[in-house]
Amino acid sequence: MPDFNVQVEGLGKCYRIYSGPMRRIVEGASFGRILGHRPFWALRDVNFTVKPGGSMGLCGANGAGKSTLLKVLAGTTHASEGRYRVHGRVSSLLELGTGFHMDFTGRDNIVSNGIMMGFSRRAIAAKSDEIIDFAELGDYIDEPVRTYSSGMGLRLAFSVAMAVDPDVMIIDEVFAVGDMYFQKKCVDKVYELKKRNKTLLFCSHSLYDVRQLCDEALWLRDGKTAAIGHTVDVTNDYSSYQRGHIDEHADGQVPRTTGRAPVVVDARIYRAGTDEEVYQATTGDSLEVRVWWKNPDPEQTPIHIGIGLFHDSSILAGMTTQFDSFAIRGDEGCTVGVLPEIDILSGNFLIAIYLLDGEGVHQYQQYLLREPLQVRFHERAEGLIHMRHRWEDRSDLELPAGLPRIREGRHGDVSSSGDETGETGGWTA
Amino acid sequence: MPTSSTEELPTPPDTDRPEERSSAKERGTILDVGSHEVGGWVTAAPPKFLDVVQHVFGFPRLLLRNRDLIGASVSRELRVRFTGTLLGWFWPLLIPLLFFAIYYFIFTKLLSIKFGELPEDQKAAMGVYMFVGVLAWSAFGESLTRCTGSIVDNGNLIKKVAFPSELLPLNAVLVNMVTMIFGMVVFVATTFITPLFGLVVWEPPSPTALLWCLVLLPIQALFTYGVGVTLATLQVYLRDTIHVVSVGVTVWMFATPVFWAPQIIRDGNLGGFSWILDINPLYHLVYAWRWVLMSQEPAFVSVVNPEGVLEVRPMYATPIVENVAIFAGWALAAFFVGYTFFLLARRRFADEI
Repeated sequence: MPDFNVQVEGLGKCYRIYSGPMRRIVEGASFGRILGHRPFWALRDVNFTVKPGGSMGLCGANGAGKSTLLKVLAGTTHASEGRYRVHGRVSSLLELGTGFHMDFTGRDNIVSNGIMMGFSRRAIAAKSDEIIDFAELGDYIDEPVRTYSSGMGLRLAFSVAMAVDPDVMIIDEVFAVGDMYFQKKCVDKVYELKKRNKTLLFCSHSLYDVRQLCDEALWLRDGKTAAIGHTVDVTNDYSSYQRGHIDEHADGQVPRTTGRAPVVVDARIYRAGTDEEVYQATTGDSLEVRVWWKNPDPEQTPIHIGIGLFHDSSILAGMTTQFDSFAIRGDEGCTVGVLPEIDILSGNFLIAIYLLDGEGVHQYQQYLLREPLQVRFHERAEGLIHMRHRWEDRSDLELPAGLPRIREGRHGDVSSSGDETGETGGWTA
Repeated sequence: MPTSSTEELPTPPDTDRPEERSSAKERGTILDVGSHEVGGWVTAAPPKFLDVVQHVFGFPRLLLRNRDLIGASVSRELRVRFTGTLLGWFWPLLIPLLFFAIYYFIFTKLLSIKFGELPEDQKAAMGVYMFVGVLAWSAFGESLTRCTGSIVDNGNLIKKVAFPSELLPLNAVLVNMVTMIFGMVVFVATTFITPLFGLVVWEPPSPTALLWCLVLLPIQALFTYGVGVTLATLQVYLRDTIHVVSVGVTVWMFATPVFWAPQIIRDGNLGGFSWILDINPLYHLVYAWRWVLMSQEPAFVSVVNPEGVLEVRPMYATPIVENVAIFAGWALAAFFVGYTFFLLARRRFADEI
């Protein structure tokens, strides 16, 4: 087993921009002696190594070279300078539905797509049941692909790409169209790949996805490496850069420099009232989140602070000083969010700090705590939160008149078939 | 249990794995798109001459490795044409049959008077002659037009999926070859079946002549591919190519004895133009196909000789081996030049489309 799955050294990609076909002819006819093109470096001097089991997330603005890098590594275009090597099989999802033929059924497309990836007909036939199971398209699998929604296209494409059992999986911003359920499934599949020492290269504008899927991140700016390292650090850097970038362009008349924009300096979790920093807690503990911030120009940019708790891909709790009408004054300070007797049950929770504007609308910065909060609970309970409750014995209560509000016992009750919406709507079998 | 399901599945044998599709990666060029030798550096250096030569000669191996992909894409393209139609798979047989009927009716029944002077059993000559010519020509001409657009039209595929892109023009060639074979089967079947109903359209070709098909088909495919892959590459860099091709194919068709007999030039008073035949590879191909499919007693064609007298001359003046050999030479040259050009230019396809 080598110590890399993907290794990139000084990689660069230059596109040739021709102003017209005549220039191209002249350049071709002179065997390149008369240059007719303007070089455009979409990627320059990129270096990184991804170890087996590692994963690299790419972030950066549009046109920063993320997709170009992935295309080079996927082998669909060549590098202009530098070199790279990839250990093992590469499977790439660069765009949805490429290679799918719209008039053929999902089943046919699995076969033809698999063959295009280099499988023999026999091998792909052996895998097709697994692919169909994973895609969970139901009867749609025998419908033409043109009838699919984009999310269904993703299901099919992702399932086929995964069936190749790649050593290196390259995914370019395609998850966004999947529903929550399938996204979760994809994420699980990616985790499973990583456990088996496979590698993921992932590009997304959703920093949350990058943090969730990748250990390391590479931030590309204008084709060059702006930052590389631990995914939380890099994405924090990137989002604060973006914030500065927005500020620079937000008010055309008075462009504010990055230095004058509000910024979160640090944020840590402490046991409430003590100086003991803590990331492992038990349900019922009292904690506080201390956020140190700077705001050089509080007159121009009043701020609010928000704290978010995430579990898997859903937000468990979110609170802001703006919601609670808590004013933040001054140009520097520490705001503490006190969380007395936390009611969350066992699990790992990501804590995000938000720096918001005076109206609580615009988000200057999103700052993720590097360590998640690990909560343990030693009693028996299910779910994410500890709901306050007690039990009582009240046999004296009469059965009320009217229809039962629970579903059981309603079989054959024709009159109630119309009220499927409302509070019972979520409880489908 | 998603975690265990992939583990339990039998892993495909090594030959089924994508990276097995290529072997020559040591020198670190992207000749073999979509494959990575384990741990081999891929550099930005352009392909070396030796790599290209090696790759050109490795073409048969490439076909073998990708036989499933080739088969699937050809059958897919044919299915696209005929699935969803009422007559379905009768169409590829019906179309040449109808065309044959049209040519036979127009040129033999309607205009037979123009080609009088022929023995009674040769009356059908002109209709059959043209039909066979058109069959062979259209497989070639249609392939060229399809090939030219094949890379650019599949830009999405080229840019997003790593796979051997030389198979795209090949697909265009093979689809048209299959269509041609359908037509030839219909023709041969007609010559065998019509006598059963007391109607002699044309004498059936001899089985030995039909064996030549096995030689002609691959050579024709090779030549068409060689020219087609060149045009496909040009089209990537210069989008005017397709327009030049569509006009050029028509000119080439009329410069080839599809609708006229070569003897008109060779033996008639146009003798000075016989170089048109000599430099035209398609002349040899069309000639050979006619020899194979119409090889009964030598067919005749009437020409006006230099003295201005109408004469009847045998249609097959040269032995077929000679024509096939010349055409095979053309085919090899076209393939080597075209495919090399393609390989050298391919690295920038994804950037240019």
